[in-house]
Parts: sequence; C-alpha cells; structure tokens
Amino acid sequence: MADVRDINWQRYCYNFYNSRECPQGEGCTYPHKARFEVEQIQYTLGDDFFLGKLRTNQRVCRFFRRGNCIHQQNCHYRHDNDDTIRHLPKYNQQNGNNRDTNCDTSSSELPSTSFEPQDVTNKNSINMIQIKGDAQELTSGQDYIENKENNLEIQEEEGACASPPLNSMNESWVNAPEFVPKNIIAARPRSYAEALSPEAIAEKNASKKLCPYVNKDGICRNLTDCTYLHGEMCDMCERLVLHPYNEEQRKRHRQECIKQHEKNMELSFAIARSKEKSCGVCFEVIMEKANGEQRFGILPNCNHCFCLSCIRKWRQARQFENKIIRACPECRVTSDFVCPSMYWVDTKEDKEKLINDYKKALSRKDCKYFKKGHGKCPFGNKCFYLHAFPDGSKCDVGPPPRQRRPRNVETEIDVLQQVMLWDFLDERDFPWQSLADDLEDLVSFFTDSDESDWSDYELFYD
Amino acid sequence: MANIAAQRIKREFKEVIKSEEVAKCAIKVELLNDSYTELKGEIAGPPDTPYEGGNFILEIKVPETYPFNPPKVRFITKIWHPNISSVTGAICLDILKDQWAAAMTLRTVLLSLQALLSAAEPDDPQDAVVGDSIKKILKCPHANSDCDDKIKRLVDMGVEDHQARVALSSYNWDLERATEQLFS
Repeated sequence: MADVRDINWQRYCYNFYNSRECPQGEGCTYPHKARFEVEQIQYTLGDDFFLGKLRTNQRVCRFFRRGNCIHQQNCHYRHDNDDTIRHLPKYNQQNGNNRDTNCDTSSSELPSTSFEPQDVTNKNSINMIQIKGDAQELTSGQDYIENKENNLEIQEEEGACASPPLNSMNESWVNAPEFVPKNIIAARPRSYAEALSPEAIAEKNASKKLCPYVNKDGICRNLTDCTYLHGEMCDMCERLVLHPYNEEQRKRHRQECIKQHEKNMELSFAIARSKEKSCGVCFEVIMEKANGEQRFGILPNCNHCFCLSCIRKWRQARQFENKIIRACPECRVTSDFVCPSMYWVDTKEDKEKLINDYKKALSRKDCKYFKKGHGKCPFGNKCFYLHAFPDGSKCDVGPPPRQRRPRNVETEIDVLQQVMLWDFLDERDFPWQSLADDLEDLVSFFTDSDESDWSDYELFYD
Repeated sequence: MANIAAQRIKREFKEVIKSEEVAKCAIKVELLNDSYTELKGEIAGPPDTPYEGGNFILEIKVPETYPFNPPKVRFITKIWHPNISSVTGAICLDILKDQWAAAMTLRTVLLSLQALLSAAEPDDPQDAVVGDSIKKILKCPHANSDCDDKIKRLVDMGVEDHQARVALSSYNWDLERATEQLFS
C-alpha cells in the first residue's frame, strides 16, 4: 500500500506541473515544480495538487538533445534550453575529450556527425548512451514513453522524434545534427482503428492490465514510463487499484472493500465486547492472558464466560460427578460441549453461527477413534468429527451405544479396546457408571495437552 | 497450577474485602501466610437464630488444585450444629464436597456457611449426637400447637396443667385415652 505519509512526498501545484502555468502565479499554496524536477506519485482528478517527490536524478531528455521533443516544456526529462546552445560550440572545440565540468549540464552534449563513436557517461543519470555516428542506438532506457495526460502512446522512437522543436530552439534548429521533418502527431489520432471506433479503444483500455508493481508494493518505480496503467486511489483501502477505464472492475473492487470494511468493523466490535470479559474460574481478564490462552470457551446452553483452558479443565475434573462437571460452574446449566472462540459472543445469532462454524470445521477432520474405518467411534453418529473411509466416502456409524453391559460380550470391549485398563480400574473403583461417564474420562485421559484438537471431543448423552 | 490458585485467592481476597457483607460485619477473611494457602474466616451468627450475636472463626485451607477443587473449611469455634462436628469442627455441606463449582469463591462459601447456620439439615448430620438431639427437640410436642390445644382442653375440664401433660404424654398425646385415664 502506498504510504502517503512518506516524508519525501509533498504536495505540489498540479497546474504548474501540467502546463507550466498556474493562474495563482507566485501566490500559489503549493510549490511550483516542473515535470523534470518532481516525480508524480498520486493525483486525484480535480485536485489542485498532486503528491510527488523530488527527482534525485534528473535525466536529460535525449530527444531534446537531438533537437526535438514533442513534450516541449512538459517533458518529464530536463531540457537544458539555452545552456545547451551556448555550450555547443565550446563543446565542439573541445571535441568531446574534456567534459565541461563547471556546467551541471554535462550530459547535454548534442550528438553530431563530427563525433567519433564513443561512450559518454552521463554524470547525473547512470545511463550509458552509445552514440555511433549518425545512427544513434539507444541501448538503455525506455523504448517508448507513455504520455498519460493525452493517453497517447508513442510506440516508437521515431514518433517521438517527429515532433515540432521547442520555441526556444527556434534559432538553433538549424544547428541540429540532422533534419527531422515536422509532424504534428499529437494533434491527430494514433491509428486508423482509433479514428474509426473510439469505443473499441475504450474497450481496449478497459481490458488493459494495472501495473503489477503498484499492486504488489504500492509503488511503481517507473511511474512516468510504466507501460501498464496506473490505477486511481481507492478511498477505502487507500491503494492505487481502481482501474481508470474499467467500470466493472471499479465496482467489484468497491464491493470488496466494503465487505472488508464490514469485516473489520465486526472484528473491532468483537474485540471491544471481549476486552473486559473475565473468566469465571480463574477470574482473569481473558484477553489479557498469556499468548495461546486468550481463547474463550463458549457453553452453548448458558451465557457465562470462561477461558477455554479453565472450562476444559473443569470439565475434565475427575473428582466430581459427571453431572457437576458438565454443568456451567456458575449456573449449573448442563452443556454438552464447549465451543472455542477467539472472541466473546453476545447475541444468540452470533453464538449459533459460531457453534455451526465450529461443528462444520470439526466435521472436516478425521475422527481419531474411527481411524478411517479401522476403528470404531464410541460417539457414533453424534461425533462431531469426520467418519470417512480412505477413499473419501462417508460412513454412517449409527447411534452411539447407549450403555455397555458390565460383563458383556467381547465385541463391546473391542469397541473400547484402547481403554480396557482404564475401564477395569474404573469399574473396580466405582460399581457402575454410565458409558457417558467413561467416555468423558477417556477423553480427558487421552488428552495430554490443551492445544490438542482431541480435547474438543465432547460427549452426547441425554 | 498452584499459580492459578494463588492468583485467584488474591483476587477473591480483594473481592471479599470490598463486598457489602464485610461492611455489615457479616463475613471477614484474614490471610495467615504469604502463599495464600491458609486463611482465617469469620462469620457472624445469622439473625433470628440461636447463633445470633456469635462470631464463628473458620479455618480455610486452599488446595493446590483450587478452584477446580473446593477449599477445605472447618470451624475453629466450637459450635452446636447438626452438620458441624462439635469435636473437630468439620462441616458437612454439599458445596464443600461433591457439589463444588469452579465459579464459587471464598465469599460464596462463607455466605453458604452462614446460611447453613440458619437452616440446619438434621437428616444428614455430621455430628450424630447433635443430630439426634435436635431431631428430638424438633419432634418435641411442646413445639406443637396441637399439644397445647389438648392440654388446654384438659385444663378446661378441671385437670391441672402438669397432670394433663403427664397423662397426655404417657398415652402418646391421645386425648381420649388420657381423658379416660384421668377420670377413671
């Protein structure tokens, strides 16, 4: 996302930037900078200013150097108007061996036919420009420049060359190294297709891609020369992602933003209502607990607030009867399971949604008792977890066995083979408890850590 | 674990000190050591009971597993109550045993004990002697207005109060047989 608070970014007068003319003149609130001095970062249509930053390396316009630049004074590159001409003869005398050091326009050498092929290092920009006699090959830099304001694309260098020379160059064009015929290209459409059907062009514009660099980092380094479209700023997410021509994309993005915004609002409400809540067992404010313990354990049948670790611990307490530990520690209303949640839920609807989401999430996990068909789940079809075979087909295991007869057939023991020892001890100590009781114990017995998903196992019995 | 217990007792301690009951001098808690494992409680005898005006000192021991297990509480002050041992001070109260809930606090425990003083459960006694005698007292015919009525009727017949009482009680408060015996 573009950081508009970047200290290097400032507001500059857009009028001056755009046309070198500002109706407010000296009294303008924003500094006047020409195009070659600043880099435009952001501009909202209709504003008097734009966000920009000073160019650290002002490049010299290479077309201007050749004597013709269609952008004239609106060029993004520096035009060293009079200096160039003044220094020209002197430079010729020096024959390129001595660089004019006292002039900051050292790169303003005009290529001429008299020059030997040589490499010229531009001090201000690091571009290497190779000049080979008349045939000037540009080995670096952009192949074409996009003029965003006119939305004209100059596809080839020749197009750029074929432009009227600057006014200030009027007396010097005779000195130009080669003759370039005048062509007022800017005034007429770029192509036949454009002339014939402006709609098709609009369509073409609409399908153009937005700059991937802006999408990724928020800033495109080639702001002025980028071949991609640069989107307008979305006032909600403050990113330059609104397609300037594609209305559908704008609408879609807007909806996404609104959705995101609603989500954020909900989240902040959730945080606000959870912030003060304290656990009824440890009495600590849950959101202020240590990392990993800031989770709420929501009981479906009552509205008392506990942290997940405390309520789970309470429900695994072995020293009390099942009825006691399955009840809310505050109101003694029995709940069948605990639903973990990051935030406190107030309303019935929120709670239902949370519990449904929780069940849905669990139903995608494989049951560790069912073991993809290798084992049997004591919870039967009331188990929250997934009972599916390795091929993915689901299996209805039927209702859970209601009661286990104490000295019954071995199949029953098979069901609970993992807990045989436990059962044995259990039965020895307590004459007979419900299956439910055992299973709850079993869960706690096999749950060695709180973060284990298996502690989500809860029991259903009526 | 022990950390949870200590943290919680600390919080509860503040809660008790701030509570209304302390202001009314009904309950009181004092720390006995720095580790928050032993405390001294004090409850006032509830009004309109034989315990009114009394102050009963309690010993509270907080287990490491608190609040998942109840605190161990016993009376230091000797008390005559069917659910409290007159010898050891042990208390028979369900919430201090199997009906404990993790959300209960020192304050609720002390208030429950106060309620226990005003509502004894002689059918589930801790102290059998006290339980029996309190049952006898509760069954005592003098407490029954019906007996008074019968005595009054005999007195109206010209029998002396004491004689009527003896006759009625020897015939298990059967008015007819007592009358027969008196006037035969």
